[in-house]
Amino acid sequence: MSGQGKSIWDTLGDIPREVLYGVLLVVFVIPMIYPLGLPVPISANVLKWYKAVEDLPPGAVVMIDFGYSGGGEPELGPMAVAVYHHMLRRGDIKVICMSTSIEGPQLWDKAMAELRPEQRYGAVYGVDYINIGYIAGGETAMAAVGKDLRATTSTDYKGTPLDQYSIMDGIVDAHSFDLLICYTTGGDQSEGWVRQWYTVYGTPYMCSVLAMMVPTMLPYMNAGQIISVTSGAQAGEMEGLVHVPARGIKSADVITLTHMLCVVYVVIGNVAYIAKKFQGGSK
Amino acid sequence: MSTTLKKTIPVAIVFVVAMLVMMDYFIVTPPVNEAGKSWTSGVVKDLQNWGIILTAFSLGFGAVNLFYFHSKHISRRTPKQWMFSLWLLLVIVTFTAVGVFMGPTSTSYNWIYNASYFALSATVYSSLGFYMTSGLYRALRIKNIESTIFMVVGVIVLLKNAPALAVYFPTLSAWGSFIENVLTTSAQRGIMIGGALGAISLGVRTMTGIETGFLGKLTEEEKGGSEP
Amino acid sequence: MWIFILGGMEMAKTHKPQFRKLTGLDALPEMVGRAAEMNRPVHFTTGLGSLTDSVAPQLVAGLAVLAHVSELCANYGVKIIYSVYQAQVMPIATELMKAAYVKAGKPEEFHADEQVRYLSGEQFAYASAVQGIAERERPAANIMIGPFYAESMLFSETFQRIGSIQLAGTARGYQIPFFAVVCDYLLIAEEIYAAGAYLSGDPVQVGTTRGQDYGKIVALILMILGVLATAAGSSAITSLMGM
Repeated sequence: MSGQGKSIWDTLGDIPREVLYGVLLVVFVIPMIYPLGLPVPISANVLKWYKAVEDLPPGAVVMIDFGYSGGGEPELGPMAVAVYHHMLRRGDIKVICMSTSIEGPQLWDKAMAELRPEQRYGAVYGVDYINIGYIAGGETAMAAVGKDLRATTSTDYKGTPLDQYSIMDGIVDAHSFDLLICYTTGGDQSEGWVRQWYTVYGTPYMCSVLAMMVPTMLPYMNAGQIISVTSGAQAGEMEGLVHVPARGIKSADVITLTHMLCVVYVVIGNVAYIAKKFQGGSK
Repeated sequence: MSTTLKKTIPVAIVFVVAMLVMMDYFIVTPPVNEAGKSWTSGVVKDLQNWGIILTAFSLGFGAVNLFYFHSKHISRRTPKQWMFSLWLLLVIVTFTAVGVFMGPTSTSYNWIYNASYFALSATVYSSLGFYMTSGLYRALRIKNIESTIFMVVGVIVLLKNAPALAVYFPTLSAWGSFIENVLTTSAQRGIMIGGALGAISLGVRTMTGIETGFLGKLTEEEKGGSEP
Repeated sequence: MWIFILGGMEMAKTHKPQFRKLTGLDALPEMVGRAAEMNRPVHFTTGLGSLTDSVAPQLVAGLAVLAHVSELCANYGVKIIYSVYQAQVMPIATELMKAAYVKAGKPEEFHADEQVRYLSGEQFAYASAVQGIAERERPAANIMIGPFYAESMLFSETFQRIGSIQLAGTARGYQIPFFAVVCDYLLIAEEIYAAGAYLSGDPVQVGTTRGQDYGKIVALILMILGVLATAAGSSAITSLMGM
């Protein structure tokens, strides 16, 4: 190869990062501006999740952990909003939210601003839903809340005593809840809920995590410890089920195209690599 | 400082607390109260609440540390650093002032959070997608049998996770599900079991005072390990 | 597990078990030597996580490797930069690194202000700061042992781009694939817990690692028995595990 210019295979096998990122950026942006309306099939795990909420008895109490950070909001936020739509639409489910992430209260506010529960469903804060705020300590907090919620926090996230809210009547510990849901960008939090609530109290549990964390949560689901594990990227499917299309459905087009682009990159790289080997010029 | 103060007492505290928490988690030790809870339950509840307080305190400690660290840079006018340190401290003060005087759930606080930290955080997180793409392009090459398997599995899972393709190529869903539910799950289980056993081993070493890293600087004699 | 670990410790006092080869840890002198030749620093980080949460064992494992790498760097005359996420780790890391330099006979070469850098308690602020260190100081070697989250790929790719040789290790299964794709050397899951014992050669620590292996053998036996029992229609092993 010395003394000769780069062959086409050298170029294709070593495409500069700038080109890779540039094409990826274009593929990201186009479907966001002009949604393509590609089909979005409903996967088994999302169906399981939907059914678990549908099967809750009237008057059921659900604990939700807004355990994700701002960085994960674009992926998990749409899923959280879609699930809230599902639960508040029923009108007979009480939803109590806490956060094991310090940004949880702000992200919950963001979700509520998108959801508009009062306007849409006539839900009343403190009667149908509430946020008891950020509780520091990670898994220690989960264990403490499960053992005695009132000893861990006595106010909601605005500082108002919990006794003033009717939704908190009879809520004492993990036994008071019919379902636990966690949205998290840190898989340890999800595993922590399995250890501290499902294992100790048997509370049914579902979680939505980043797509890259789903394989690590699957052992728990296959062992029956988690009802359903979904990724935030499946928010489009949940939005389809609850008939409230929003950011999730829009992202589905982006996900499809970018995944296909990644495969194209892999194919190009391998074709170039094999071609160089056959030419006897591989590095 | 004597070995008792530097090592024995902290290790004894770790041992006692760990034993209490494990007893409460795994067994119901008598005497049992009328609610059916063992005597450890109340003790562990207090310990857990103390843990929450300590964690919350460490957040404040982190802020103090930031002030100390960056104030030094500002006072020394460290080249290429002191302006950033000054900016950081200004932002900390702004967030703190707004949070304290207007409330952490106020519209103003939410605005500055959304306009600054949230936007930046989501941006940096999103940059992962680009890094993963270049990593995939470079790493998934047919160099040997292992990397070929790696590539084939990676491509199948990539295509399976593309929602629209699953509609047109349902076989991808079946293959992807097999890879996830059988191959990946079993490998993850192995890693999790190994990791858990390693953590237990480290826990036992910590509780018995063999692992002294968390105690900071100890002499060889204080560590009680083998002589150099 | 207690019995295995304590038994392993006792047995190791008379007969020290041998480790299988951990290529990543064996490569540490080579990595530091490379940094010495290139006259560039070594970068070390133990990732996210604090001493009070569930990933604390990984952080402690990382600190054990930090002590060893600090001693290597002191011996080779290479600057080591330790990027800190949690403020509470700083005093411990400072003491460990200072002790390493003292052991190497070069206490005057350790400068805590420059070498132990508390960056931020926020994930992406910390990640951005580490990327900044990579771009500005261009370390020849990057060692990442501990609990890592999404920033793992950011670090790996950035250091790969500037030409650093990399060793990574984490027990967080989510991030192992990202390190596997990019880094030169990898420690998977429990290998990071064994790292301290492997590097120090302390018989007692090595013995606990042997005890851990006995635990794995028992887990394997129970797994096989469980599969056979379940296939035969018995739930005895499953009930035993569910106790």
